[in-house]
Amino acid sequence: MSRSTHKKEYEIAIIGQPNVGKSTLFNILTGRKAHVANWPGVTVEVHEGETYFNGNKIRLVDLPGIYGFSTLSLEERIARNYILSGRPDAVIVLVDSLNPERTMYLAIQALEMTGKVVIGFTKSDAAHAHGIHINYDLISKRLGVPVVPVSAATLRGIRSLLRSAIDVARGRAGRKKPFRIDYGELEPYVSSIESLLKQYEERLEYPIRWMALRLLEGDDDLYKYVRGVCGEDIAEEIARIREEVKKIFRRDPAELLAKKRFEYLQRILGDAIVRLEIKKGRFERFTRLFYRPFVGPVLSLTILLGMFMIAFTINTGFPLNILLDSLGMHDAASAIEEYSIGGLMEKLFSWISSWIINSFGESWLTDLVANGIISGVGSVLIFLPLIMIVSLFLAILEDSGIAPRMAVSLHGPLSKIGVSGHAIFPMTMSLGCNVPAILATRAIPSRSERLRLLMTLPFIPCQARLVVILAFASSLVSGYGALLVVLGYSAAFLAFAVVNKILYTYEKRKTGGKEPEIVLELPPIHRPLGKVLWWHVWDNSKHFLKKAGTIIFSLSILIWFLVNVSPGIALTDNPGESIAAVISHYLSPIVYPIGIEPGKAWIIAFALLIGFIAKEAVVETLTILTGTSSAQQALILLGLTASQLAALTVFVVLYVPCIATIAVIYSESRSVRHTLATIALMLGIAYVAMLITYGLSLII
Amino acid sequence: MNIYNRTVALEELPSGSRARIVEIIGRGGWIYRLYQMGLTPGVIVDVVLNIGRGPVIIRVMGVEIAIGRGIARRIIVEPINT
Ligand SMILES: Nc1nc2c(ncn2[C@@H]2O[C@H](COP(=O)(O)OP(=O)(O)O)[C@@H](O)[C@H]2O)c(=O)[nH]1
Ligand SMILES: [Mg+2]
Repeated sequence: MSRSTHKKEYEIAIIGQPNVGKSTLFNILTGRKAHVANWPGVTVEVHEGETYFNGNKIRLVDLPGIYGFSTLSLEERIARNYILSGRPDAVIVLVDSLNPERTMYLAIQALEMTGKVVIGFTKSDAAHAHGIHINYDLISKRLGVPVVPVSAATLRGIRSLLRSAIDVARGRAGRKKPFRIDYGELEPYVSSIESLLKQYEERLEYPIRWMALRLLEGDDDLYKYVRGVCGEDIAEEIARIREEVKKIFRRDPAELLAKKRFEYLQRILGDAIVRLEIKKGRFERFTRLFYRPFVGPVLSLTILLGMFMIAFTINTGFPLNILLDSLGMHDAASAIEEYSIGGLMEKLFSWISSWIINSFGESWLTDLVANGIISGVGSVLIFLPLIMIVSLFLAILEDSGIAPRMAVSLHGPLSKIGVSGHAIFPMTMSLGCNVPAILATRAIPSRSERLRLLMTLPFIPCQARLVVILAFASSLVSGYGALLVVLGYSAAFLAFAVVNKILYTYEKRKTGGKEPEIVLELPPIHRPLGKVLWWHVWDNSKHFLKKAGTIIFSLSILIWFLVNVSPGIALTDNPGESIAAVISHYLSPIVYPIGIEPGKAWIIAFALLIGFIAKEAVVETLTILTGTSSAQQALILLGLTASQLAALTVFVVLYVPCIATIAVIYSESRSVRHTLATIALMLGIAYVAMLITYGLSLII
Repeated sequence: MNIYNRTVALEELPSGSRARIVEIIGRGGWIYRLYQMGLTPGVIVDVVLNIGRGPVIIRVMGVEIAIGRGIARRIIVEPINT
């Protein structure tokens, strides 16, 4: 072959079973930031990235994590169609070194489709510690494709993985033909189907033997395709063969083939992989506690609660300040509050604001910059450390493998409201942001459970709503502030539970729906990778900063204008005459029932209206409208009672989180009705809950 | 090694026991997922933990998997005495 026929650009696909370390490797290879989660089935989108190797450009396509090619779930279809499309020059199949026997199942299925395969054994750094020793050369010889140990942690093998992939792409390595597994007593039936298809080889787009196997397994999509190409007679003959296998073996052919593949793997891996018994770590044994009744759920909830407590304390001094206060250490309490990260940042922003006004004089422009942009964006930015800390904690839970164990521990309590343990992942994610959480529901096996979660997950307060809750809490005496936070989260989880329960009961009555079920892999517990933790924290911070820099920034300008300009387009000093006041005039009656007087009601109504776009904006709207530099001052100026604050907090927590969430609910449910129903549901429940909270707080 | 000739549901096996899968009853997406996770007839499973409530934790091919009781009820196994 002459050099000039070499393509200099290759398209290489990466597939692997869930949790083999595919996202981590992809991120390392491409410098991109796909979400890494120690949780089976999270990578659902197809990511693309680029890398260069020895002057070759490689376009990497990261396909969803799948167990095999048989259930024909959405992800499996995406992966299968792509591999068969002929587009990839090579396919890298990742196999988990810590779990090789099981994860090779996908590799062997891929090999039945194409010979252009490289097998990468991931996490090779950790194999020995787990007592696993793998003879890569032997496996490579038996399968006829390159086998490369790699580690995203130590970067070992990354270059040789790419080199092998290019060799395969150029036809210098790999198999010319797909791999043949001997299916033993099933072979006669496979061959019969093969010879039926052979006559149409020209017109069929896929490898004959692979199609024969899939048809025997009962692949409806492929069956329809074959019927289209080969005609009714052939299709009927194939169906007949399948029935015959069912009758003779009295088993589902899919089961028979899966069993054969695993037996085959056993044969080729048996002497190539040595497992030495390793004593379970103390931590691993500790995690067994999660499976105990009562102890498990309590442990999980304690961990989540503890995490949030620590995060709050570092950021705002709360709730440690209250504890110290109640112990009579008032000085220490106020010092902690003042020198918490949030406290210091707030000082900085108000210092910048007054510096601008002092240096450039008072004009509408300095007012826009100082009281519009800086206090608006600043009142939100002070929560960045909180977001970083919470992300770090959630990342640790996820990456260490504790999160799936928490899911098991909470499966029991959750199934009472029709939700399985699988939901724990999107639920904890919701505490950060609802948007990725709603995407993560794709890993939930039950469709009806998933649709219910799409409607109810937004009740779980994301960090944006946490920002509002904390801002409201800051205006109260600390004891009451703490109560307000507890109230906000309790209301949210109560709404989540009650609405799920109602939807589930309704569904059960209508369709006789089933109990929620769980089938979840529990990856080995391990120390989280620093890299992975950093990606998580940086990802969330970047998202937050981007939002502060774009949406919150633009909104603060918009709000400043709406508040400082009258409908006659003239600057006004009296917000009561502004455009904002006119717009929200019509909305103000919604807060009359909680005893807010008309003079202030429009300010609250306007903040709630802006809150539809992004929840943090509630805080900045209040600060800009009142011309203060923090929500604390704003609320004090508004003179809301504790009861009113409590009622408003509940409303803010429960009503539609933001436009982005609505958009993603729509794109996931593909149903306008479902999306509108979610909005109506949230608004209705938020409003009723607000009235109830107000009523109750008056009685107490 | 002594193989009993009777079968029980996976759900009924106590912690620490070992069994061979005989049959998985039922249809639907779940079954294929189980096959792909290596739970096919003939495969040996270890019961890591079964406390009579909540998911059953088993080990198959070195991997731990939590299986809800409803599904564990439909996995028919033959206990192996070691
Ligand atoms: N020891 C070790 N752990 C890894 C390595 N790569 C990934 N992991 C861990 O494996 C888990 C799953 O990673 P992820 O990339 O999300 O897997 P995916 O589901 O296949 O995309 C995470 O907990 C990672 O920290 C590696 O090279 N070495
Ligand atoms: Mg992933």
